[in-house]
Amino acid sequence: MNNFIDKVFAHSTKIIALVVLLLVAWIFVVLFEHSLESIKAFGFSFIVDTKWAPNLEKFGAFPAIYGSVISTFLAMIMAVPVSIGIAIFLSEIAHVKLKTPAGISIELLAAIPSVIYGMWGLFYFVPIIRDIFGGIGISMLTAGIVLSIMILPFMAAVTRDAMNTTPDILKESAYALGGTKWDVVKDIIIPYAKAGIIGSFILALGRAIGETMAVTFVMGNVHKISADLTQPATSIPVTLANEFAEADSTLYYSSLFELSLLLLVISFSIISIAKFYFLRRKRIA
Amino acid sequence: MATIVEINEQKALEVKNFEFTYAGADAPSIKKLTMPIARHNITALIGPSGCGKTTLLRSFNRMHDLYPGNKYNGEILFKDRNILIPKEDLIKLRIQIGMIFQKPTAFPMSIFDNVAYGMRLQGIKNKTELSGRVEKALKDAAIWNEVKDRLKHDASGLSGGQQQRLCIARAVAVEPEVLLFDEPTSALDPISTAGIEELIVELRERVSIIIVTHNMQQAARVSDYTGFMYLGELVELGRTEELFVTPKERLTEEYITGKFG
Repeated sequence: MNNFIDKVFAHSTKIIALVVLLLVAWIFVVLFEHSLESIKAFGFSFIVDTKWAPNLEKFGAFPAIYGSVISTFLAMIMAVPVSIGIAIFLSEIAHVKLKTPAGISIELLAAIPSVIYGMWGLFYFVPIIRDIFGGIGISMLTAGIVLSIMILPFMAAVTRDAMNTTPDILKESAYALGGTKWDVVKDIIIPYAKAGIIGSFILALGRAIGETMAVTFVMGNVHKISADLTQPATSIPVTLANEFAEADSTLYYSSLFELSLLLLVISFSIISIAKFYFLRRKRIA
Repeated sequence: MATIVEINEQKALEVKNFEFTYAGADAPSIKKLTMPIARHNITALIGPSGCGKTTLLRSFNRMHDLYPGNKYNGEILFKDRNILIPKEDLIKLRIQIGMIFQKPTAFPMSIFDNVAYGMRLQGIKNKTELSGRVEKALKDAAIWNEVKDRLKHDASGLSGGQQQRLCIARAVAVEPEVLLFDEPTSALDPISTAGIEELIVELRERVSIIIVTHNMQQAARVSDYTGFMYLGELVELGRTEELFVTPKERLTEEYITGKFG
């Protein structure tokens, strides 16, 4: 009887796991199916064409891809050093009494829904950017800043966790040779936790590139490529959020699906790389 | 009162009325301990778990300062100076009093960089000087022949015994005056242990050594002096051959004959 229950349990968990796999495949198939018309119409030029003109039935995804990449890049440039700083403070410098409350507040920040970052960005950052850099304030730069603030808590928390895995005895060995706190952080802790830190950055990157609500508010959905970061721009998720309701032709509709397919592929690749790093860290430990 | 043998040699360290209390603890872990450490000799600290021997060892290089709230009282004299004063330069102190830990602690870098690490911390950048001193340290730690062809390789590729020698090389490379060994062979196999013990005995020529060990045979094999500690106090410090054969204190005798521990 017990044997039977065990078997039922084993099989039901197996089925549930398979359902997840099927779901992923299904989403992929649906996106691909709906993208077919656009893929047939534009081929590879969909990715490199800079013109997105729904009224002319002309769809080029490059401005959206460019906007996704640049806004994410800006976010990472700003968030990486700050998150490392926060993580070093939380794991090595903060007094025990400060460590826990500060750590918890960082984790709470990570739990704020992204739409709130978007609204906050629109009402708080947009005017600041407008005052400092001119333009209308709704821009690539604003999107980068809001994204960086959004991914920062997650990066800081995971980086701190990775740094905390450094064995005390290893840190003590460096102190015992006359190392300062800074020496130990730079030579021992960061190299030891490197894989985990990079993994957290890549996961944050994946989140930033697919982020919709936080940036929809502040980016502008303008399909133009501009070297001036204070100009409005667009990204893949921003385009999707803004334009599905307006898609009045099947080609328009299909092009939006192809955009989402591209986003899925980009996100999958990023997560795969992150997984690779996390797995490597486990092997070392 | 503890029975302390007369030490005729110069002294590397002198512990006087030393007390140590861990952060948050009600009672001190080491109580009014007085103990001389002979220069260029090996002093072993033995005693049951929790007797305070590792706590005492970690006081010599002020390792306890890494964790807030620990309190020292009394004096530890090193070169006629009390190293327990708050403004003691811990970086200089730790260069002069090195430490080897319970487990090998190779840093996540190459073999060469591991040994050069302490020197680089002191600002030595000259390549010829660095490689000369790295080679000498590796030879002193009896591991040069095993690693000379792979100095650029990551140190994690070495065996446990080799890594522990590497740590010893790293510690002697900065030319300390005292080396503290905290159960250095507890994670090693018997053959590596024998090698490390042999090395410790050779190092005595140049540094004063204090070794904490759980293993009484090890204390008997390597040390010149042995201190037996119990419940945070020094019970007896004697010349090793005398302490193990004719202990003066009943408690010492009971411990070394295995009546408790």
